[in-house]
Amino acid sequence: MAKGEIIAGFLAPHPPHLVYGENPPQNEPKSEGGWEQLRWAYERARASLERMKPDVLLVHSPHWMTQLGHHFLGVENLSGKSVDPIFPNLFRYDFELEVDVKLAEACCAEAAKAGLVTKMMRNPNFRVDYGTITTLHMIRPQWDIPVVGISANNSPYYLNTKEGLSEMDKLGKATRKAIEKTGRRAVVLASNTLCHWHFHEEPALPEDMSQEHPQDYAGYKWDMRIIEMLRQGKTKEVFKVLPQFIDEAFAEVKSGAFTWMFSAMGYPEIPGDLHGYGTVIGTGNAVMEWDLVKAGLASKRGAAKKPAARKLKKAA
Amino acid sequence: MPVVGAYLVPGTPLPYLVQDNPPWTSLVAGYQKAAKSLAEKKPDVLLVYSTQWIAVLDELWQTRRRVQGLHVDENWYEYGDLPFDLRIDTKMAKACVKGCASVGVKAKEVDYDGFPIDTGTIVAANFLNPDGKIPMVIAANNLYHDPGLTEKLAQMAVKTANGQKKRVAVVGVGGLSGTIFRKEINIAKDKIASESDDKANKKLLGLMRRGDGAGLKKYLPDYAGAARADMGMKHLSWVMGALRWRFSGAKVHAYGPTYGSGAAVVEFNK
Ligand SMILES: [Fe+2]
Repeated sequence: MAKGEIIAGFLAPHPPHLVYGENPPQNEPKSEGGWEQLRWAYERARASLERMKPDVLLVHSPHWMTQLGHHFLGVENLSGKSVDPIFPNLFRYDFELEVDVKLAEACCAEAAKAGLVTKMMRNPNFRVDYGTITTLHMIRPQWDIPVVGISANNSPYYLNTKEGLSEMDKLGKATRKAIEKTGRRAVVLASNTLCHWHFHEEPALPEDMSQEHPQDYAGYKWDMRIIEMLRQGKTKEVFKVLPQFIDEAFAEVKSGAFTWMFSAMGYPEIPGDLHGYGTVIGTGNAVMEWDLVKAGLASKRGAAKKPAARKLKKAA
Repeated sequence: MPVVGAYLVPGTPLPYLVQDNPPWTSLVAGYQKAAKSLAEKKPDVLLVYSTQWIAVLDELWQTRRRVQGLHVDENWYEYGDLPFDLRIDTKMAKACVKGCASVGVKAKEVDYDGFPIDTGTIVAANFLNPDGKIPMVIAANNLYHDPGLTEKLAQMAVKTANGQKKRVAVVGVGGLSGTIFRKEINIAKDKIASESDDKANKKLLGLMRRGDGAGLKKYLPDYAGAARADMGMKHLSWVMGALRWRFSGAKVHAYGPTYGSGAAVVEFNK
């Protein structure tokens, strides 16, 4: 078996508004549109992913928050209706996904070896969180690539940002090792919003874009500063200011997905490709891509020969 | 109409899912005692607030007539599933949504198939109201509401019940000290995470037992900080708001650990 590789990472935030704005058949509420800038950003990210043809998508989501360690989806087929508890008016989505259990188990084992508390989620009735589902829908609406879903341990909130994010760093390195050992060509997805200051009331028509704007100017400026550094490939610098960014912009990257992803990729000092930025009820969201093959940090080997993905076994 | 019953109960699913685990059996028995006393009080409606139903934008109230399903806790899924079948007093819940304006809060109805009912509400409902005979009104824990505003919301709900001439029992669902073990433990040897948490919990319960509302009110902010209390004990604010801090004492039906955190079943006396 060839050594596996992470071929790309995406910053792939999960406001359910984006799914609502798109009106896919899986989502029950229907909209007049909205948040086009971000949805077009995701269109470009989708096109990149299509070219990459990964074997698996790994996603770390802040809305599966766990207290006792880091958990991994461990049931091959999960399906159900995901209703967002905060925005049930916008997101009631029928999902069906295939988990790459073998890789999930390898991630779990490597993370445990690195000293983290880990757990495989084996309950077939488990409802996958809306953060995972929104990110996966936005990046690959065909749902034809197996996934690994990873919980966000609450350590950054429960302990402190520094200790919590050092756990996410370990988790990222363990994820990379597991990918290498299992021979997968993988894409890692950080399901995180940047500045997280938000409105306290929803506009009467949620998709009325005349009402959409950054909630907080200082938070917006922080987002622009971080994005600019990421576009220039100043990864080290970003991680130096990350704790301050988290505190001052109430950034959702505190939950760890962003750190996990960069750690898994080896903190490459390469320019990130910004597909787009937009606010959702005032929060700042960027869709960004780090193509490690293009940067010469992952091989092209096999990329052309592999089929796009295994087809999901259609459940009756 | 007075508040006919007032209870503080745990929202963790552990004692419900593993009822025969020795450190948790007293919580199960305590919940059963509370259920028996509640049934004897014959309330028309249960007024429930669970720390685990999180709201961020508006105050949310469940208004779907019947909510059924199977829930799996995101942390404790390995111990089993949580089936639920709740009947909602829709008329009163809708009146509470309207009543929120009187305390300066924007509120919304929640009436969606498949809405994720939180673990705490399900555990409390399944223990206290097992065949769903008593209709419920369920309010969310808005993270931006402080204890004072939570009290006002409960008072408004009681007033709403009075307006509809309903006998109401109030239920606050949540834990006590909030520190859980962060490494896997043998659940048969579960205990409160630290002596100081245990001491703080016991002091809090002592104030309840003695009916010392003023002392309880004074101690709560310190307790909430020192014991990392579940959501700053806003579930207690809910109960105290409904009672206006007037109670002659309390029966602590049970107190014990749930993976290190503190949990108690408390019934307040008139
Ligand atoms: Fe989020």
